[in-house]
Amino acid sequence: MLQTAFNGFVTGIIVTLPALAITLLFGVLKFPNFAVGAMMTLAAYMVFTLNVQLGWPLIAATAVGAVAFGGLLIAVDYLTFKPLRERGSITLMVASLGLGFVLENIARLAYGNTARSFAIELARPFRFLDIRMNREQMIIIGVSTLAMLAMYVLLTRMPIGRAMRAVSDNPALALVRGIESPRIIRWTWFIAGLLLAVGGVLIGMDRALEPPMGSSYLIAVFAAAILGGLGSPLGAFVGALIIGMVSELSTLVMPPNYRIGIPLCAIALILVFRPQGLFGQPYIRK
Amino acid sequence: MKKFTRRKVLKTLGAAAVTPLAAPFLNLAHAQGATIPIGVALPMTGNAGAYGPDMAEAAKRTVAKINGGGGILGGRKLELFIEDSESSASVAANLSQKFINVHKCQSLVGYWGTPEGMSSRPIAIQNKAVLMVSSAANAITEGDTQGYVWRFQMKATDWGIVIGRAVQGLGYKTIGVMGLQNAFVLPIMKNVEESVKKAGRTVTDSLIYNPEQPSYRAEVERIFGKKPDAVCCFGLLPDFVSIMKEVYRGGFDSKVVALSIMADAEGKFVEAVGAQVAEGIRHFQPMPDTSAAAYKKFTRLMGAPEDKLFLFPPNTHDQIAVTAMAMEKARSPIAADWSKQIIPVCNGPGENIDDVVDALKLIRAGKAINFSGAGSTCDFTPNGDQLGRGMGQWIIKGGKSVFVEYAKP
Amino acid sequence: MISFLILISIVVCFSAILALALNFQWGLGGMVNFGLAGLYALGAYSCALLMLRAGANTFFATVGAMIIVAAVCGIVAFVTLRVTEEDYFAIVTLGVGEMLRLVALNEDWLTKGALGLTGIPRPLGDVVPPQYYQYFLLALSVALLLGTLWFLNALARSPFGRVMRAVREDDVVAATLGKHVLWARVRIFAIGGAFIGLAGSLHAFYYQYIDPTQFSNIVIAYAFMAVIAGGRGAHRGTILGAAVVMLLLEGSRFVKDLIPGIDSDQLAAIRIIIIGVGLIMLLIYKPQGFLREYRLQVDLK
Repeated sequence: MLQTAFNGFVTGIIVTLPALAITLLFGVLKFPNFAVGAMMTLAAYMVFTLNVQLGWPLIAATAVGAVAFGGLLIAVDYLTFKPLRERGSITLMVASLGLGFVLENIARLAYGNTARSFAIELARPFRFLDIRMNREQMIIIGVSTLAMLAMYVLLTRMPIGRAMRAVSDNPALALVRGIESPRIIRWTWFIAGLLLAVGGVLIGMDRALEPPMGSSYLIAVFAAAILGGLGSPLGAFVGALIIGMVSELSTLVMPPNYRIGIPLCAIALILVFRPQGLFGQPYIRK
Repeated sequence: MKKFTRRKVLKTLGAAAVTPLAAPFLNLAHAQGATIPIGVALPMTGNAGAYGPDMAEAAKRTVAKINGGGGILGGRKLELFIEDSESSASVAANLSQKFINVHKCQSLVGYWGTPEGMSSRPIAIQNKAVLMVSSAANAITEGDTQGYVWRFQMKATDWGIVIGRAVQGLGYKTIGVMGLQNAFVLPIMKNVEESVKKAGRTVTDSLIYNPEQPSYRAEVERIFGKKPDAVCCFGLLPDFVSIMKEVYRGGFDSKVVALSIMADAEGKFVEAVGAQVAEGIRHFQPMPDTSAAAYKKFTRLMGAPEDKLFLFPPNTHDQIAVTAMAMEKARSPIAADWSKQIIPVCNGPGENIDDVVDALKLIRAGKAINFSGAGSTCDFTPNGDQLGRGMGQWIIKGGKSVFVEYAKP
Repeated sequence: MISFLILISIVVCFSAILALALNFQWGLGGMVNFGLAGLYALGAYSCALLMLRAGANTFFATVGAMIIVAAVCGIVAFVTLRVTEEDYFAIVTLGVGEMLRLVALNEDWLTKGALGLTGIPRPLGDVVPPQYYQYFLLALSVALLLGTLWFLNALARSPFGRVMRAVREDDVVAATLGKHVLWARVRIFAIGGAFIGLAGSLHAFYYQYIDPTQFSNIVIAYAFMAVIAGGRGAHRGTILGAAVVMLLLEGSRFVKDLIPGIDSDQLAAIRIIIIGVGLIMLLIYKPQGFLREYRLQVDLK
């Protein structure tokens, strides 16, 4: 059972980065972005191009790919969401749905439907405290933790991070203080892009690269963000871990093919009992 | 004013959408009495997209050969309409309708996947056209097909029997089974489990998983965690790639038995996971009898070396050949007539013949024949299943699939 | 060829009914339904199972399917909207849709799982002679489409419709005016659900074979495209939108006949990219769609 818990921990860790991206985007842009799954997919494929087709080592490929993807998201936002900024979250949601289809199928168009893998060596596991762990899981845990720490520093210590939080909490007041919304929005998308790209690479390492890979995580990612409280980075982290572990542990008592029901039930339960999640603030519209 | 402009735009869009539909009207090639149309639905995209192109090529070359040898029914040529079924049931159903209603086909061939076959079956029967599939699921030929549905493939239950027997032959005592939630996997799984149990071995655990799951860690943990001697895994390429990576990273030692569409897929599996992960995996696939003369003729037709293994294209060749021969024998292109001639032409009794052009000559001369095709001896049961098909077994060593043996149920 | 056009028209009809349902829930009710594919599957499976397992005839099976989907929609709306914002609602509907499809795929004791349900009877399939059946089905589909249109339009113009629009525009104000917001929304979503069930039933009748792969998320993209193109809230526009989308889809199959160079793999992806991009561009540039919503004309003199 300890093994299952550990597996769940790893699954949860993978979800933390996209959950964080969603929560940041929601905080600043005020709508849930349904394209994040497809964004992770496309970013992972971009890194794949650098890694497998051009032969770069995975770390370099991820670093460059993530930055490029962050830039790409700024452009995507400019074309897609900026014109719709004043229209309300529902329109933005539908647009994000359409965007998700477009991005996923661009990946499909460019790379085909077959499953691919990054050019890294798979390794056999080692045992630690009677739990099987392997090198890739260590990498995943390490990278995610680093990313979380970086985000923490960013949001609490650095001016841009504080500005993001200000805009997230109260855009009008932030404007009065001279914090320029469009600049913050661009930075938010860039950082979200970094997170999603790294998240996509981790998924690709964990599983395989194929067009539906990101979308299959969509529900779990949303559940994690909602559980933690949309808008709270710490919540995203905690929420993701909880969702991951509960999902894996559930396989001990129920058939594994309904695993996806766990995040869904989580969403339903949270919405009924505590809509702001664990760490979020009750969101008051208008 | 604005309203008027918007209406105009919508009308233009609508006209643009409708224009492609004019295409068939431009295609006047088959004026009555000229060519005989055959509809070919093959997966060029989707799950089974890897297999379509070769099957299409086989169809084209077979038709070229028949037309070059004088065609049928007094010199009429066969004409193919090849379309992508996208490995989808509803697409295939629409295609079948299109073949029958627009192109006036009386023979629908190809149909690699079970969903395509299942959805097109009622259409074919209702419209009295012959449907020839290359899929395994039992349900396709169940019930009353009125002689319009013919399977050019080994039935799913037979797959299970052969694999089960092989697994016992390899001496595995404890076996885990996992399968994809998919129409043709389930009968295979059931039969493998049954035959294993009958031989006194133990099935340690068995489960079903969904396609496109974020991770298969839990499934692998459950089945492989019990440390059976071997695990039979039946599914498709994408999930198998994830599963085998998990197996390797989890350090599990059970031997893995799978199907060639997952573990080989024209080399894509080894490409995706690397030689080390793939080492020792055995995979099975129904295959033609490569030692038969008919098969060797087929490889020559395809312009390939004699030892090249074609799993499915020989079936497409046979489907077209049988269509042509049955039509010739019935002296009619109407399916209601020639569907009754499929068994006489394929099962005999008559002269054994494996070349379609020669067979047509014999039929025209009024002789009885027993056709043997590239994919199999083409002997059918009354409800449309093929007899005498066998299965190949391979094992992956050093990143390459090495042939082990050919066995029949 | 005529036969083929008739069959495509039938598909346009039930796709249009689906789009109308979405338009009703979203365009008029302001509730985004991302679980459309799963609910559509629920309608088709309910209808088929009622006929195949419970021996109902096509009429009662259709009505049954409509009731089942309406009930599910009502429950989802009630549970979710009681406590939360519309953003979460979309996520919940996505989740519900996914669960429904998972159930259809996995509970094979009920739905035969991936194998699908075959041999689905058609309305009056035994009565109408086979060579005329497609005309009958077309007539029936068109009749049902017009009936749906009439019903939903009547609702939109009724006092209930005014409540819906008030709730959609500003639910706080509507509540202060004494309108029971939650109950109105539940009813809207449920009524829309009934017509999703109707569309699903027609789908089952047309194909006579349903399996889980027919109800993928692409359905949602098409339906939203149809609604947006036609103009949110404008029912006639939605039908036109649905027709155009369907014709584009089916028509693009013939493009391959004209231009042999295109790879089918790429064509499938390109089609979806066009739909997605079209959706976004329509939202940006033509949010009102191509036909305008019915609005009460007030003469200011």
